[in-house]
Amino acid sequence: MTAKPALSRLGPSSIPARAGIGLRAEHYAAVLEAPPPVGWLEVHSENYFGAGGKPLDYLERIRAHYPLSLHGVGLSIGSTDPLDQRHLASLKNLIRRFEPALVSEHLSWNSVGGRYFNDLLPLPYTEEALDHMVARVVQVQDVLGRQILIENPSSYLQYVESAIPEGEFLVALADRSGCGVLLDVNNVYVSARNHGFDASAYLRAIPRRLVQEIHLAGFTVNRFDDGELLIDTHNRPVWPAVWALYRQAVQRFGRIPTLIEWDTDLPELAVLVDEAHRADAILEEHHARAA
Amino acid sequence: MLGLRELQLGFAAAVLDGADGVFDRHVRAAGLSGARRLQVYRNNALLSLTGALEAVYPVTRRVVGEGFFQYAAAQYIARHPSRSGDLHAFGEQFPPFLQSFVPAADLVYLPDVARLEWAYHRVFHAADHRPLDVAALARVPAERRGELRFELHPAARLLESAFPILRIWQVNQDDHDGDAAVDLSEGGVKLLIVRRENLEIEFQPLEEGEFDLLQALAGACDFATACGRAMAARPTLDLPACVQRHVSQGVLVAFHLPGS
Repeated sequence: MTAKPALSRLGPSSIPARAGIGLRAEHYAAVLEAPPPVGWLEVHSENYFGAGGKPLDYLERIRAHYPLSLHGVGLSIGSTDPLDQRHLASLKNLIRRFEPALVSEHLSWNSVGGRYFNDLLPLPYTEEALDHMVARVVQVQDVLGRQILIENPSSYLQYVESAIPEGEFLVALADRSGCGVLLDVNNVYVSARNHGFDASAYLRAIPRRLVQEIHLAGFTVNRFDDGELLIDTHNRPVWPAVWALYRQAVQRFGRIPTLIEWDTDLPELAVLVDEAHRADAILEEHHARAA
Repeated sequence: MLGLRELQLGFAAAVLDGADGVFDRHVRAAGLSGARRLQVYRNNALLSLTGALEAVYPVTRRVVGEGFFQYAAAQYIARHPSRSGDLHAFGEQFPPFLQSFVPAADLVYLPDVARLEWAYHRVFHAADHRPLDVAALARVPAERRGELRFELHPAARLLESAFPILRIWQVNQDDHDGDAAVDLSEGGVKLLIVRRENLEIEFQPLEEGEFDLLQALAGACDFATACGRAMAARPTLDLPACVQRHVSQGVLVAFHLPGS
């Protein structure tokens, strides 16, 4: 058996209103050696769907030091295929074992006809799709026995069929299913630039009460002869324009737990911690002004 | 106007099957064309699944080179699409795919190298298990030991190859130091791949007899039959020592006596 730390685990109750970082395998050892001064950690749920071994052992040990959020990327909630009950059962097991304070997924789909893209795909924002998403989120929350948060995705296309602005769609989904909102400020910025909508207006369309978590990450600009697309690559620091939009979000939504995500071309842990501290400073500023 | 199901199926045909032009009319062409926008999703799906294969098959990739690997991966993904939102299961058919992949036909050892990497991947994520209860095993009456059925650790796999795949694996590790040449004529290997209590993975080349014993036990043979196969393969095998070693090293982790 692997030695387990004697530390008692932090309770599941809450994620502090501070910045946290996305934990990736490359940083396991560094986090355990010197737990960095960040408020909480988030992991991709599916990375811990294995039956045993190192990933679960590391998460167990790291969990002793930090409140945890589980962020799913593979449940394919928006798909018209039946929900994958095995996937849901794996998620439920993980929740039972690690007692995360938050569990989240995406306003997206990633499979149809049994084939998976393993990518977050955009939904058409129609009444039919809204009804479908509401029913699926309710189904997921029933199985898990808890509320989940749904995150707005970055998208690179809009369907001709879409009739509802994304922000409104998300709010209606939350109101009708009882889910919370994970507001990805970088995704709002990326999609706003890709589709030419007003990012600030998007934030204003979302009621204060719904937002329980914020994501921040870096995007990449892909230039073509006929224009450009911002791609949500999570491979670099948060852009200045996204920090500016984040300030607006903090002014509107208050002190909300904020996550720095970085998934490819991972830098040293210290770089993520610095980004988290930048977010903390903005949260503090708001707190000082509000006090 | 298409419904949600039809839009998703149309999107899949355009992005996964490369059905050109048909779906463009459902994409708003604001600035960039619908085709350009769909291409982003084509790239993302390919990158995501190629990345998953690269993570499981780093040695295979190093042996064939990045360009060849990406080509093989794209062919594989088209023929064996991902079937789960959990990527742990993706790539299982890559070794048999390589076996029949004509551009790799000269690399006769490649499918077995990939098999080794898949076994490593499964062992890495397999369930934990307590060691065998030695005291309980000692209480089994001597005359019934032949009926025992043993279980191997969930994180133990046996693999046999006609090629020196362990040596190929070793010289293709980032921290390998020294001679990187592999002489294919040095012959094959019978391997035990097992995860230790400290969660590190170990490769143990096994000799004739010892491999046969574990393989028979893994195949749910009773102990007497397994011993028979082991001794047939290698009459000089020290069976008790062999069994004891695999119990104490946590390879054999459970047993039961039929009917008890």
